[in-house]
Amino acid sequence: MADDNRKLIKLTIDGKPVQVPEGTSIWDAARQLGIDIPVLCHSPRMRPVGVCRMCVVDIGQRTMAASCVRPCEEGMNVDASSAKVDLHRKMLTSLLLSDYPEYSAREMSTGNDQLLALAKKYAIHDIPFADGATGLPRGADMSSPVIAVDHQACILCDKCIRGCDELQHNDVITRTGKGYAARIAFDLNNPMGESTCVACGECMAVCPTGALTNKSVFAEM
Amino acid sequence: MKLLTKMMHLQEQHGAVTDTMLRELSKSEGVPLHRLEGLRGFYPVFRRTPGSKTHVQVCRDIVCLMKGGPQFCQKVKSALTGEPGVEIEEVSCVGRCDSAPAATINDVPVTGSVENIVAYATGKKPLPAHAPATPRRWPTDPYTNEKEHYGVLKKFLRPGDDRQRDAVIKILKEADLRGLGGAAFPTGMKWEFTRKAPGTPKYIICNADESEPGTFKDRVILEELPHLLIEAMILGGWMIGAKEGIIYIRHEYAKEKQALQAAIDKARGAGALGKKIFGSEVDFDLQIFISPGGYIMGEETALLEALEDKRGEPRNKPPFPTDHGLWGKPTLMNNVETFSAIPIILDRGASWWAAQGKGNYKGLKYMCVSGDVAKPGVYCVPWGTTVDELLTLCGGIPEGKGLHAFSPGGASTNFLPASKRQTALDFKAMQEAGSSLGTGAMVFMAEGRDVLQLAISEVKFFRNESCGKCVPCRVGSHKAVDLVEAALAGKPAPQLVHLLKELNDTLAQTSICGLGQVAMAPLMSVISYFPEEALPKLEGSGRRK
Repeated sequence: MADDNRKLIKLTIDGKPVQVPEGTSIWDAARQLGIDIPVLCHSPRMRPVGVCRMCVVDIGQRTMAASCVRPCEEGMNVDASSAKVDLHRKMLTSLLLSDYPEYSAREMSTGNDQLLALAKKYAIHDIPFADGATGLPRGADMSSPVIAVDHQACILCDKCIRGCDELQHNDVITRTGKGYAARIAFDLNNPMGESTCVACGECMAVCPTGALTNKSVFAEM
Repeated sequence: MKLLTKMMHLQEQHGAVTDTMLRELSKSEGVPLHRLEGLRGFYPVFRRTPGSKTHVQVCRDIVCLMKGGPQFCQKVKSALTGEPGVEIEEVSCVGRCDSAPAATINDVPVTGSVENIVAYATGKKPLPAHAPATPRRWPTDPYTNEKEHYGVLKKFLRPGDDRQRDAVIKILKEADLRGLGGAAFPTGMKWEFTRKAPGTPKYIICNADESEPGTFKDRVILEELPHLLIEAMILGGWMIGAKEGIIYIRHEYAKEKQALQAAIDKARGAGALGKKIFGSEVDFDLQIFISPGGYIMGEETALLEALEDKRGEPRNKPPFPTDHGLWGKPTLMNNVETFSAIPIILDRGASWWAAQGKGNYKGLKYMCVSGDVAKPGVYCVPWGTTVDELLTLCGGIPEGKGLHAFSPGGASTNFLPASKRQTALDFKAMQEAGSSLGTGAMVFMAEGRDVLQLAISEVKFFRNESCGKCVPCRVGSHKAVDLVEAALAGKPAPQLVHLLKELNDTLAQTSICGLGQVAMAPLMSVISYFPEEALPKLEGSGRRK
């Protein structure tokens, strides 16, 4: 392994000491300790992007750090599970849920919708924000023979984009638009079925929500 | 830069960047279609299909709402309804707050009043020509005439002698020059870090993308003192060993770009730019990059992403640009005002600079003043001047009205009540008063102004300009505006103020960049400092005895 010569960094996470090679993310270091930091936009297979912010931890600085992208530093004292940290995670989950459709194809089929799992974890019942999902304004794209795209269930975690462009090198998916209007898009914002998508299925496999699922499952809804 | 420049060229030539053009570009450049779509969809300058002959962009932000009325955009729209060949778009601050209300017509700024803007848009008045500004004497210019320009550079440019470089860092540190784009990071340290950072080539970049509502000081410096900016960038290049410098200028500053380009050409002619500068061994040249638009590009790492032909979305930090900047190389980035202060500091010394401030405050500061003030504009004042003194200098508030509130440093800074008018213009003093000096964009608000409405306009600005990369900013800023609008419509959410505080806390603590972190700040400041005014409107009058 190329890692062998890396300097070792000592830090504590939730009071537990841990030693990791330089360059290790806080998220990975926490996993070594059996501390599971929730995250929607990251998986160990991927380059971290730190966009969902669910994995934020308190490192005693002005702002929280996204543990998936923040490298461990010598002497760091990381608070990964306090009430304060959980309050932010709960708020972020509520924000995403306020625009989430009532039915998630992933939850209804394989039952592993990761956003809904967080909703359960944080016992979120009442969402204080305006409902952005009524009438499903972001629409869906059923043009692919294999993959159903539910834009309303997309949380812009970037996993499908990295899956398509970086893991599979199929180079089809991007984000288009900006701000609250940003969404995933295929080629030049074409319907998925008319794009250069080869339906490899990587995007469905990595999607944490009901945004990209198998079409036959979606149809059953 | 290559892709975006090509796309901007297509846009300019054809009025749009169509699918056909992008398919061709994809082939000729060997980049996948999705990357081009990502760019076209992100930057406001690009259109998918050509628009009308006359494109009117009306400012929707705070100063224009004050000067043109809360319905400013609507008024322009109604007046132009049915006008053939005219299309109207609401846009963020165009940087002409000193002559607000403002709009642009086919990228030419037009200001003053709704009637004036409409007359230009309908062709009743010919669009104003790009007349160069009448040169003014500014106190940060060490030169009395053009022949003297680049004298400081000549004095310091001794290649191979690191003691000269050490001396420059020492002077900048002693002068306590800080990032005047608003971040207040010590400039001497930044220059030192980038100088020491391993890796080549290194780059030097000027952030001339000021776009925060109320901010227009760099516009004036770019037009009237471009030689100082150029000189400082050459010095910076020599300091860190960069051969290439880029000035990233906002799209709306076409006129200022002309002045800057003329100054660059002159510098090249004089031997201050190019190969073997002034006969030394130093090679350095500068180029201007015009932003394809968007406030977020003022965030330094978003700016770098744009220069790398990506969507201008801020990077997670660390690493910082001093180590890992453009193309992953050490990059020195400063704001226009910061750079342009350097020649005079090096010429006259740190103690001279310190003596320019009032009392213990050091140096000079360009303030851009707008809102309810007799003589809006850019003022160069001693550091430590009070808010009240600045107001007097600008002719006070018209119509004999009293001061109600002020926003000292741009949309990201807390509104303060008139009782804080004795606060000094200084990063620390303004922080202690409960706000920050930010970019030095002072907006004065007279008695009778609805500070809640104006603060909400600032939150809307951030919502409109969010890049959409991270959840708290993308979704949170949107929901924050929804919450206050519902409240003003008489349907406040239960425990609204508590909820806004929690939401603000999450935005401030978990957003990737400064935009999301401050998006709700003006609103929260109005709740804190003007509770009698804000709370009844937000929580409903029924709650108030």
